[in-house]
Parts: sequence; C-alpha cells; structure tokens
Amino acid sequence: MHAVKQKMILGITGILMMLVSNVCFGAGIPDKVSIGSIQKYYAPVSFNHAAHINRLKDCGLCHHHTTGAQVTDPNCARCHKNSGAQPVVSCKGCHVADPFTPEALKQQRDQQPPVYHRDKPGLKAAYHISCLGCHQKMNGPTGCQDCHKRNDGGDAIFKSGKHAPKAPAKPKTAHH
Amino acid sequence: MIERRDFLKGCLACGVTAATVSVASGKAMAAGSFEGYPDAMGVLVDLTRCVGCRSCEAACNAEQKLPEPDLPFDDMSVFKDKRRTTEKAYTIVNEYKVADKDTLYRKIQCNHCTEPACLSSCFVNAYTKTKEGAVIYNAKVCVGCRNCMIACPFNIPAYSYSSPLNPLVKKCIFCYDTRLKDGKPPACVEICPQQVMTFGRRADLIKLGHDRIQANPGKYVDKLYGEKAVGGTSWMYLSSVDFDKVGMDGHIQNEPIISNVKDFLGFVPMVLSIWPALFTGVHLLATKNKDGHHDHEEGDHQ
Amino acid sequence: MKQFLTRNPNTQIISSLRKDDDKGRPWTLMEKIFLGLTPQQYLSQAMSNPLNWIFAVIFLIGFPVLIGRYIFGLSWAVGDPYDNAWGLFLAFGLFGMVPLSSSGFQLGSAVEVFGRHDFEPIERLGILNGILGYFFAVMFLMVDLGQPWRLPYPMVVSWGPEAVLFLVAWHVATYLSVQAAETSTAFFEWMGWPAGKTFVKKMALGLAVAGIILSTLHQGALGALSTYAPGKVHPLWYSSSFQWLYFFVSSLPGGLCMVIVVSTIAVKTMQWRCDDTFKNSLSKLQIALAKGASMGLITYLTIRLIGIAHDNKWAYLGTGWGAWWMFEIGFGVILSLILLTAGIRNNSVALVRLGAWTTIIGVVLNRLNVYMFTFNWQQGHVHIPPIREIIITVTVYSVYIVTYRAILYRWPILFKWKTRYSDYAVLEPQPAAIAEAEAASSK
Repeated sequence: MHAVKQKMILGITGILMMLVSNVCFGAGIPDKVSIGSIQKYYAPVSFNHAAHINRLKDCGLCHHHTTGAQVTDPNCARCHKNSGAQPVVSCKGCHVADPFTPEALKQQRDQQPPVYHRDKPGLKAAYHISCLGCHQKMNGPTGCQDCHKRNDGGDAIFKSGKHAPKAPAKPKTAHH
Repeated sequence: MIERRDFLKGCLACGVTAATVSVASGKAMAAGSFEGYPDAMGVLVDLTRCVGCRSCEAACNAEQKLPEPDLPFDDMSVFKDKRRTTEKAYTIVNEYKVADKDTLYRKIQCNHCTEPACLSSCFVNAYTKTKEGAVIYNAKVCVGCRNCMIACPFNIPAYSYSSPLNPLVKKCIFCYDTRLKDGKPPACVEICPQQVMTFGRRADLIKLGHDRIQANPGKYVDKLYGEKAVGGTSWMYLSSVDFDKVGMDGHIQNEPIISNVKDFLGFVPMVLSIWPALFTGVHLLATKNKDGHHDHEEGDHQ
Repeated sequence: MKQFLTRNPNTQIISSLRKDDDKGRPWTLMEKIFLGLTPQQYLSQAMSNPLNWIFAVIFLIGFPVLIGRYIFGLSWAVGDPYDNAWGLFLAFGLFGMVPLSSSGFQLGSAVEVFGRHDFEPIERLGILNGILGYFFAVMFLMVDLGQPWRLPYPMVVSWGPEAVLFLVAWHVATYLSVQAAETSTAFFEWMGWPAGKTFVKKMALGLAVAGIILSTLHQGALGALSTYAPGKVHPLWYSSSFQWLYFFVSSLPGGLCMVIVVSTIAVKTMQWRCDDTFKNSLSKLQIALAKGASMGLITYLTIRLIGIAHDNKWAYLGTGWGAWWMFEIGFGVILSLILLTAGIRNNSVALVRLGAWTTIIGVVLNRLNVYMFTFNWQQGHVHIPPIREIIITVTVYSVYIVTYRAILYRWPILFKWKTRYSDYAVLEPQPAAIAEAEAASSK
C-alpha cells in the first residue's frame, strides 16, 4: 500500500508540475485575437493566433525580439542584439494607432537623440505590412475582405454594395 | 512741337508703368530660389507598399464631398486603363506591370510643389502656397483660363467643364481646410492600411526617405523623387523600379517651372523703358527732311 | 454689290460727308449705313451675293451651337480635355489671329515713326486689320474662358503679376485702346466729327510707339506662355531660351502678309469701294510689304535653326514629327520666301500675293502645332477637337469676316472720304492748303 500511495503522490505531483509549467509558459498567449479597432468600416478581424503559432513556430517573425527570439534584421541588431524578451509583446503595445497626430509627430521629433525607431509604422500598417507581406509570399489570403468583411460604413465609403453608384448613362473615364 | 510734348508725356506714362510693373513683378525677377516654408508638411509615398486597394480614393471622395464615382472604389477593373485626376477624382491609383518585378501601384495627386507651376502661371493669383505646405485654390477669383492645367508638369488640375455657371479647377488640397490647418494628416494618409504614405515635415521626410533607402539596400532606386524635381515637391516618392516605368517623368527639370519664364518677364520693363527712346530716336533720324526740319513742325498733315 | 452696280451704274455709293448737290446736306447715319441705297436695294444686293448664302448657312448652324456652349457649359462644346486644356478657340482664334493682326503697329510705325508716308494708302487697312484681329481674339477668349464674365478680374479684382498671362491681359487691353484710337480717325471722318479726328491725330506718334512697345511684349508673351510646359510641346517647336523671339519675329511677316491678302481680296471683290489712289498704288505697296515680310521670314528661318542647334535637337528631324516640322517650315517659310522674293525680283504682284497666302497659312499652322497638334506629343495621340468646337470656331471667324466687310464697305479705309473746307472751319489750316482743298473738291 505504501508503494502505490508513493507512486500516486509522485505521479500527481509530476502532472501538477507539468500543468503548472505549461500554464505558466502558456499564460497570456491568446488562441484568438479579435481586432475591433476597424469597426468604422469593417467587422472585427478574428485572428487565429494559435494556428499561426502552430504553423510558423518562430515568434520573432511577427514579434521581433520581444518574445525572446533572436534578432535577425541587421538594422535592429545594431542595438537589440542582446535585447531578449520584453514585458510588452502585443503589436499595439509599441505601434501606435494614430502615428501622425501633431502630438505623435512632435514626440518623435523631440526624442533625444532623434534616431530611434524613426520609421516605425503605425498599428494598422504594422498589421498589414506584416500579415499581408507574409501572406503574399506564402499564398495566404490577400484580399481586404478575406480577413475583415466590410460593414455598412465600409460599403458607404467604398460606394459599394447597396451604396454603389447607379450605372451612368454615358460611362466617362478620363484617361490619357 | 505740340506732338513732341504729347509724346514726351507718353514716355513718362510708359516709364511709370514700367516702374510699377517691375515693382509688381519684382518678386519674380529679384528672388533667388525658395527652399520652402520651414514647417511645411509633406508626404512620403512608398510605391513598394501600395497594394492597389483604392481606400485612399474612397477616403478622399468622402472627405472632400466629391460627386459619386462612376464605379465603386473596390472595383479593380479601373486598373486596365491609365487614369488621371478629374473634376470628380482628386486622387487616383494606377497599376503598372513592370517586367521582372511585381506589379506596382502608384497614387497620383497634387504634389504641392514648393514653387508651383500652377501658382506661377495664374494671372489672378488664385493659388496660394500655405506655410503648412498645401497649395490651395481660391475659387472666387478664377476666370477659367486653364493656364494652370497647361503649366502643371504632373497634369493634375482638372477643370469642371461640365458646369455652365460655376466651372472651377478641381484638385487635391492636402485636406487643408478640414485637417492640415490643424496639423492633422489628410484623409488618404489616415485610411491607408499599408502606410504607403508617411506624413511629417517635408524636411524630416527627406531624411527619412534617404534613411529608408539606406536601411534596405537594393530595395529602392536611390532617388527620392520630388526632393529636387521642379524646385522640390511636398509629396515625394520612393520606388523599387525606374520612375519612368511607373508613369513618372524621370527627366523632369530640377528648376521650378517659373524659372523658364523669368528671363522673359525680366525683359518686360526693359522694353517699356528702352523702346520709347529707341524709336523716338529712329523717328528723329528717319524723318528729317532736306532743310533740316521735321514734317510735323510745320503743322498737322492730314 | 458688284452685280448690283453693274445693273444700276448710276448709283452713288456714299463716299463723302455730304450729299453731292448744291444744298450739300450731310448724310444721315442710316443713309451711311445703307451706303446711299434704299433698304430694299441693299437687301436685294446682299441676297444676290453667293457668299452671303454661305454665311447664312454657317450662322444658322453655328449660332445655336455658340449659344449652347453658354447654356450647357463648356464640356458640351469642347468635351473634357483635361490634358489638352487649350483647344481650337485659343490655338486658332487667339494664338493664330494675333500674329496676323500685327499689321496695326507695323503700318502705324512705318508711317508715323519711320516717316514712310508713301504707305498711307494702305495704312488704315493695316490698322483696321490689327484692331479687328485683336477684338475677335478677345471674342474667342470670351467663348473659351470658363467664366468669361470675370474677364476684368486680372485688371481690377486680383493681380497675379508673375504670370505671363497677366502681361498679355494688360497689354491686349491697353493695345486695343491704342488701336481703337488709331482706327478712330476713319470713324470720326465717317461720322463727321472733325474735332475727334484732330485730337487723335496729335497723338499719332505716341500711339505708334506705344503700339510697338506693347506688340513686342505681347507677341513675345504669347510664345513665352508655352515655356510653362517645356515637356509638353515637341522639342522641334520649343526653345527654352528663344520661344518668345520665335513668336515675335514670325508675327512680323504674318501681319504684313495678312495685309497683302486682305487688300488683294478687297481690290478684287470690292473694286467699287477702292479709290484710284488705292488701286493704282496697291501693287507697288504690296511688293514693298513683301520686302519687309521676306526679311522677317529669312530671319525667322535662321532663328528656328539656331534654336535647334542650341539645344542639339537635330536627331528629332528624322522622326515623324520631324517630317511634319519640315512641312511647316518648307511650305510656310521656304516656299513663301521663294514666292515673295521671286515676286519682288520680277515685279510680279501675283507671285507676291501667292507668297502672302503661304506665309499666313504657315504662321497659323505654327501656332496650331505649338499649342494643339504637338501639345502632349509624348502621349502618343494628336488631340482633334470635337465637331462643336470646330463649328463655333468657324462661326466666330465668319462674324469677323462679315464685320470686316461691313466696315470696309462704309468707313474711309480703301478710299478717301470727301470733305469740304467748311467742315473744318473750326480749325485753322494754312491759306495754301485751303486753296488746294477747294481746287481738289471742285474737280
């Protein structure tokens, strides 16, 4: 009896440790991310984070060095060769939603010395340059509506769907 | 005698006119080159990033309250023709299939030149280069001569020929009234998903553009189009292929368009000042008759 | 009128201020307008002129189209030419007609500045040709401008002095006044207002010099306008440094030859209107004008060639556009030079008249090439104006011809207005002149 009880305690402890370690390591990695900042024109993007992790494995492809991956871009390596993991890993943590407001521009101009991250894309651009860039190389979805369907606001600004122009009597295109 | 007095009065009138005109046009004659207002904003357009989604066209249409387009902005069949700006479209995107390279897209709009040709050619001063960098247009004084359309090296201003009572020039105004005046980026820049366009002070964007070229060796043609073209433009371009291949004039002059006419304009007050004495002299030399008198000294001839 | 006068040889066409009888009452304005014919007679002679039928058809079609341009907007007439903003109205109506109207300052200065009073029989025709050409160039502008009611804006509302067009606007406005003053002598004679005529006559030299100044500048400015678009005009028609000189120099033979052409038409179709002085001196004067024109043409040919050498554009001559350039120069300049000089050498006024036609066609063709045909040549297609634009251009030009003819019928341009001493009693002519005048009028 004693031996069985010992094995059981070892087993449960082992499983508990694995669970804890798994939970600790996996803590905060979302399986799905809903990007809703585009609600003016599009329904939120339902981003399958887990699928991308499984497929790509290298977190550094999107998260630079912030999750602990090695820095590969020579422009970044100059300063971040040994930077390692960071407390902030989400895209919106560093890429601002409105990069061109007078305040944002002033902040960038006023940094001393004025050399760091001068060409950092805004949040929307970071998503698209990263996602679209990779999708184009790996035959992923590249159409606008493949990732986020337009809502009525989007149809209105794109003059599409029920906001589409009536067929003109005499189609006029100005071309050279 | 009477004739000569009247004639000299004419000379004086001409001289005064010459002085007035030369003062008025002194700006064109005496100025050196204008480097741009120090805080003028600009936009860096990176042709390698554009995917031809036409969101910028849609945003401009909404922001500037333009008329309904002929086709929806998500209709990509428009790319089969090379378009230009029209009275209904202040900005358009064209597609360029370049051999050995991917398809490129180019956004076309007013480049808000530092010394604009449109402004230099306008005889009612309808255009203004604002200190924020935008080249804007005063519809209240435009006569409709369309010299600006002739002068613009980028063929941007479009005339609303279809309006019988109030035809006007239509072009991108850098969203001056609604955004740029308050330091905000124009609608097209804001909506662009790929950040094809980077907004900032023109002087900073020049540095940024060259930095980007350097940071990505081999990716870009080593030229910031618009840094120097026609005296410098506020909207500048980076490209991965020769600019001629994406419909831009790679051999455009670096001097502002107005420098083409400065010599002639400088000649104007010279003619106004020199011709009176020159031709009076010719007259005096040519019309003395044998006894040394001039015809009209003896009284009027019919 | 010719046929009418053949059928009614005793008709007295009004050529004087007063009726030629004992009472000598002055003609009324209506009588002067109908040339002394009854309205019915005038109408019948007009109807029997086949040219008037052609004009009737042109106006029947053209006036509705012209009015349509204003009601429906410019695009109804010219389309939406965004890349080729200037069409036939300007390329022909303004850029084409203005150099041909340079005769005003040329004949005016020949007589007043250079003292060549032997040109007096043709001086008034040269001046009339000038003012009518400029006036109708402004009419073409009123058709072309998007908001023609704003034409005075560059004068009084908003100034853009660095624009070449600003100079053109001011100069054309001032020059029209100068030409109006110079033309007014004929008008005052016709109206019987001797004081007006005398007042203007005093300014003759000043007006002539003002005319030279203004013409040099705006003829040149019309060329300078194309330097705003250096990439758009074909290199063979464009010179960064000399464009204004091309336009100024070519305007000189253009205006002189236009006078030769118009005076030829006048003496052939309005012989009844021309007096003996005009008819007898015309051939000699036309040959003299041809001398001036041929000097202008050889100068123009030289500077066009210098311009090509200056920018090293010889290679373009081997292209399709090069062939077109050679046609323009070959027909409009070289052939004209051959005809004019042969006419001068052999005292053949027929050759001179032919050479005058090829010259004016060459000048107009050059303006059409610079501002329309070769404009945006790099886009690979030639801009052909739509039919309504052509109709309106023909219509306005026909109004110009009809106006020209109406004035030549009436005002003392081709003939001397007969007056008596008593008409000038307000002045104090010399006794010798009185006796001369009486003797002349009693003949």
